[in-house]
Amino acid sequence: MQQVRYPKEQMHRIAYTKLTKDQIGEKLGAAGAGPTSASKLSGALTGKTLKIATDNGPALSYRFVSDDRLTIVENGGVSIDAGYGALALGPLVLFSHMVPGTQRGYHVIVDRDTNLATVFEVWFSGYADNREVQREIYYGYIDAPGKPPPKERHGLTNRVEGKGYFWKQDNGIETLEFYPSAIYSNFVELTRLGGELSFCGPSDYVKINDDLYVYSRVECEFSGVMTLYAFDANRIEQIGVRLGFDANDALEYYLFTGTGQWLGQIAQFEKFGDIGVPAVTGANGAPPEKGARRVYRPLKTNPIMTKPEVEAAIAANVSVFAAPGPMAGNRLPTSTFLTGKELTLRFDHGPVVEYRFDEIQKLRWRREGERAWHEERYDSWESAPGVVMFGHLLSGEPEHDSFTIVADFDQGLATCLHGTMGTPYMANEAAAKTWFGVIEMAGLTPPKYRRHRYTDELVGRAVSWNYSPGLTSMHLYSTPHSLSWIIFTDSGAGGLEWSGPASYVKIRNGLYLAYWLEEACNGTLGMILVNMRTMHDCGVGYHCGKEGLRLNSMGAHARHAGRFDVTRFYNIET
Amino acid sequence: MSKKDSASRRLFFRHAGAALAAPLAVVATEASAVPATQSTELEARLATLGDENAIRALNQAYARLVNDHAYADVAALYADPANANLDRSVSRLSAESFGEHDTIDVAEDRATAEARLHCIVETETPLEPGSTLVDMARRQGEGFVRRSERRVLEHSYVKHAGAWKIARSAFRPA
Repeated sequence: MQQVRYPKEQMHRIAYTKLTKDQIGEKLGAAGAGPTSASKLSGALTGKTLKIATDNGPALSYRFVSDDRLTIVENGGVSIDAGYGALALGPLVLFSHMVPGTQRGYHVIVDRDTNLATVFEVWFSGYADNREVQREIYYGYIDAPGKPPPKERHGLTNRVEGKGYFWKQDNGIETLEFYPSAIYSNFVELTRLGGELSFCGPSDYVKINDDLYVYSRVECEFSGVMTLYAFDANRIEQIGVRLGFDANDALEYYLFTGTGQWLGQIAQFEKFGDIGVPAVTGANGAPPEKGARRVYRPLKTNPIMTKPEVEAAIAANVSVFAAPGPMAGNRLPTSTFLTGKELTLRFDHGPVVEYRFDEIQKLRWRREGERAWHEERYDSWESAPGVVMFGHLLSGEPEHDSFTIVADFDQGLATCLHGTMGTPYMANEAAAKTWFGVIEMAGLTPPKYRRHRYTDELVGRAVSWNYSPGLTSMHLYSTPHSLSWIIFTDSGAGGLEWSGPASYVKIRNGLYLAYWLEEACNGTLGMILVNMRTMHDCGVGYHCGKEGLRLNSMGAHARHAGRFDVTRFYNIET
Repeated sequence: MSKKDSASRRLFFRHAGAALAAPLAVVATEASAVPATQSTELEARLATLGDENAIRALNQAYARLVNDHAYADVAALYADPANANLDRSVSRLSAESFGEHDTIDVAEDRATAEARLHCIVETETPLEPGSTLVDMARRQGEGFVRRSERRVLEHSYVKHAGAWKIARSAFRPA
């Protein structure tokens, strides 16, 4: 019996319904009763009244009639009855409600020790994709008669950056959540999606005190669901709320409690003493609009191409290892190792390919049994003594194929990443297959059984990559089958982040061949040979866009950024 | 005037510029008490110092507008805006060593002038597009190669209708 629930489609492949404002209004009808909860709601506020004053935000007057009903007066307006739910965590009370008859509501976190409050105003139909939850954060306090307003406030922080947790909610939902950025986060849905891939969403991190924080994310470019929770970083407990529409367009509006496990802490790269978060500004330095945040929307800048568009673009332009771009500023020098060699690569579940490396960047290849040779431009790099990575196109092949091969001449082993252009989802999106095999050549006897192999040794690791001046990212090898990349801001804080399917092969100790696919993004297949001894990689990017087909070199300097202890969550018991 | 004389005279003005601007006003008020030849020389010095101050103000406006990326306003500081030719990679200009090595040479006829301004030039060169990382960097307002280096900004000036304008500009290695 299947133990793990895999979805029919992963999140980046789901064609989420573009819900209309009216549809959302109709579906939100049930939210007026307040959120559901698997755990008993807290009565901490029952019978109380609270006046919350916020800086540059609303004044909210609450009367909590019962454990699940309240009245709210916004900015001295009319009193409105609404359903709500509250949960408590130490000194914190989190309560949530929608404003009936509207598409907005509030998630409020009150610190009973300090009387400080953080208010998330949330709403639907505030962006082109109506289902995407919008939010604005206000910081304030409980306005008590006769008491002067406190000077302190909760506020955004980078003190959560670098942390990672396993969370198990009271409803059975299990996730791995990584916070490698000050404005984004990375989550693995273990129970909802089977834990194959990680996904990313814009996120807020609010400091309550050194133990307690509030985290929120919105699954922008996916369902648009918001997950928000307050958590205790020491005790690893959470109380939270989830609001939005799932893949079937059903309303999710519930509170949850959860407990977790600490997965580790990876590095931060801000200057010492910097505990802030890069500010969001509006156009030309103007104040940001309500709800503004940094969101990476990959398909906005990487439009999906049709097959005829791809064919036309490739007919017009094919670029093979042209002048190195920003991704190759720190590339390894082109190797002469292969020049003059003749060899055959025999892959177990792939082709047998004969090679003649006539010149430093010119080779001939043919499949076994084929008479004619095919000439291609190639590039190659010797990452470790006797280990060469090389790549080339297979011109004229119907899927515009590419081979990127790591050949280990000390062991007689070779692994090929076979790239093809086009998937059932996008014509300008690359796909990859991995073939393991051996090198046959004069003076070399390859092994019969040993092969390079898939590995989980990189999983959980974070490594920064400096490609060229001004271009540094960090890889987080988040699951055995996915890779996330984080762009640093000028301050060194982690900024925008995205993720794609990936694969990891061990070549030697400390030497790994990895690829990632920028699916539902710009379609690139990135292939790198990661040398953890020299902390340098070499690699090939395979991409098709409106500018044509491109095979380009990559290379960057690495720094260790730490590791999350996650591999135990990916062991599938049968 | 011989070339040597002209150079000496310019050198004099250069050193006189910032330090003597305020005392000269006092000297000018007492000019009637000095002989006529000395008075003429003082008037010339005063006029040239006025030119230097005007050019200094022009330079400050230039730096402020470059730093604000107000390129149209920068062009308006030129006698012929077409000569503005501003290097758009320059994101910020600031004086080096409080400007103590800067020179302003006003020609004897006070119709043209030249300046050498020692500055720190910060440049931003956009990264070549085409990769997701560059795309993401740009989305968060980055994606530039930023450099900072010492250079000398050379301006030549002309006086138009009594007001100084920049004729041409060029950055030279420091």
